[in-house]
Amino acid sequence: MNGDSKWGVLGQYDWSIMAPELTILVFATLLSIIDLLLPKKTDRRIIGVLGLIGVIISLIFTLSNTGTQPASILADMYRLDSFAVAFKAIFLTGVAFAFLMSLGTLDKKDVHYQGEFYYLLLTALLGAMFMASSADLITLFIGLELLSLSSFILVGIRKKHIQSNESAFKYVVIGSISAAVTLYGMSFIYGLTGTTNLYLIAERLGNVYQGGFSYIVYLAFFLMFVGLSFKISAVPNQTWAPDVYQGAPTPVTAFLSVVSKAAGFAIILRIFIIMLSNVIDIDPTTGEMKSLLVDNLGLYIGIVAAASMIIGNTMALRQVNMKRMMAYSGIAQAGYLLVPFATFTVLLFEQTLFYLIAYLFANMGIFAIMALVSKDQGHDEIRGFAGLFQRAPLLAISMTIFLLSLAGIPVTAGFFGKFYIFLSSVARQNYWLAGIMMATSVVSYVYYFGVMKQMFMRTNPNGVNKIKVPPCIGIALVVAVVVTLFAGIFPSQVIDYLHNNFLFENMMQVAEQVVMK
Amino acid sequence: MIPASSYLLVALILFCVGLYGALTKRHAIIVLLSIELMFNAVNINLVAFAKYGLFANMTGQIFSLFSITVAAAEAAVGLAILISLYRNRSTVHVDEMDLMKR
Repeated sequence: MNGDSKWGVLGQYDWSIMAPELTILVFATLLSIIDLLLPKKTDRRIIGVLGLIGVIISLIFTLSNTGTQPASILADMYRLDSFAVAFKAIFLTGVAFAFLMSLGTLDKKDVHYQGEFYYLLLTALLGAMFMASSADLITLFIGLELLSLSSFILVGIRKKHIQSNESAFKYVVIGSISAAVTLYGMSFIYGLTGTTNLYLIAERLGNVYQGGFSYIVYLAFFLMFVGLSFKISAVPNQTWAPDVYQGAPTPVTAFLSVVSKAAGFAIILRIFIIMLSNVIDIDPTTGEMKSLLVDNLGLYIGIVAAASMIIGNTMALRQVNMKRMMAYSGIAQAGYLLVPFATFTVLLFEQTLFYLIAYLFANMGIFAIMALVSKDQGHDEIRGFAGLFQRAPLLAISMTIFLLSLAGIPVTAGFFGKFYIFLSSVARQNYWLAGIMMATSVVSYVYYFGVMKQMFMRTNPNGVNKIKVPPCIGIALVVAVVVTLFAGIFPSQVIDYLHNNFLFENMMQVAEQVVMK
Repeated sequence: MIPASSYLLVALILFCVGLYGALTKRHAIIVLLSIELMFNAVNINLVAFAKYGLFANMTGQIFSLFSITVAAAEAAVGLAILISLYRNRSTVHVDEMDLMKR
């Protein structure tokens, strides 16, 4: 019989549900060996092309899993459900964009170790994928650290570049501190429930909370939330973002601002929604029952969201460096993305995912154009965009579409995403949060339109030489423009697709362990 | 028998000392060492809970093994980055790492 093999219980699991991760793992391993064996003079872009193929294969595997019943192996350490599939599709698309961007703009003089660059992107992606599809604190933490460690190295990959070194060191220090804080919170959860499986935790935590340990549950929640807010660059832990974004190579910045942030949202939603699902607060005087996460902690998450929106949008106003501006804009976008979690309606996942899709394509497009412009100009300042309309009209128009999407102007995906989030906040009568969201969005127009002003109304002092667009960046831009406009003009199609193919509620179901037949 | 709360108190003190050191010290190596203290505080917590937790079992010790491994990897990456920074800047003082203000 199969189960009696020397692998014991490991041989019985149906490993095929792990196919996307295994593909990435195999490609990362193979590419590191190929990189070692290739002669020194060979162009390392071949590794990038192979990596891109691996990402696409993994994306196909992931999308073939849409709409399946939740399944899990290794006692929920690996879990496949609609939530995981949707987030993994976002990570894989984001990394595919990062690959296209690096194939088009990465300079051999700038990044000496190009082979490492590509397979570290893959290992970072592997970590992000585990953050989305695991239901066990140990595996989630290891996924988080795999993503963090790979991105520390990616940020500092320009070894001779002082700013790159400095930002990598800042990233390591803040990243490690927040990892330790997260882990400290997890250790209290383990102490209260004696398990690291999220479903068992959910089962036990309700009684423990009632049994007089409510303060420790609160403490663990805050420690974990503060630690994990590092990944999404939300307020208590946002200070690293501008420096790290500025020092990192542009494709890495794009990766950090989209994939790493989406992975942070995946782990936050996964841990807190499952872990606190049974924790009920009973009012001692009235006997009224309230859900801890939905009714009590929503306020704190809302405060974090509001503070991120305010700080991100106001600090972005005074930036002259494009990457720093995008970092503060990313802090503000993290605030918008926390609003559905704070207000917690039934549409939580659809709102978050729609906004993440809009954010993914707009941000990736902006970073792709920025990589071209800063390579052409030799710096990342916003004034480098001056006269872009005369030099490359198509680039300027697509940049405008992406900026409008981030600002939330109609006809783009960002508008509907923001509107959808805004609605939930109003529906839960969370008017203060809706108001702050509205007001800070208006503030954000100033700096987004500042870039447009440079592109259309200024002339470049360096003359009107044309910018050559490499084919892979061209492909990335076309895809990003099409999706941004399509999701903006026909949002109902996207919502229907999400609604029909992803049953996000099945995140709460305890899955059957799949074994070989 | 030593009560569980004393282990937790030691871990808490160690964690706070580590956090204080990581946030205030000027020398980059001391900052990295302080972060190690924070991870060690977590390990004490996990092992204490594995013996005295509400549902005491072995998982805490396994978790602490993972946390030790991760802390080691983080220290390795941190030191590697610090060395490449030192080669370019010849400084290990955190307050001199301010090239990117605005």
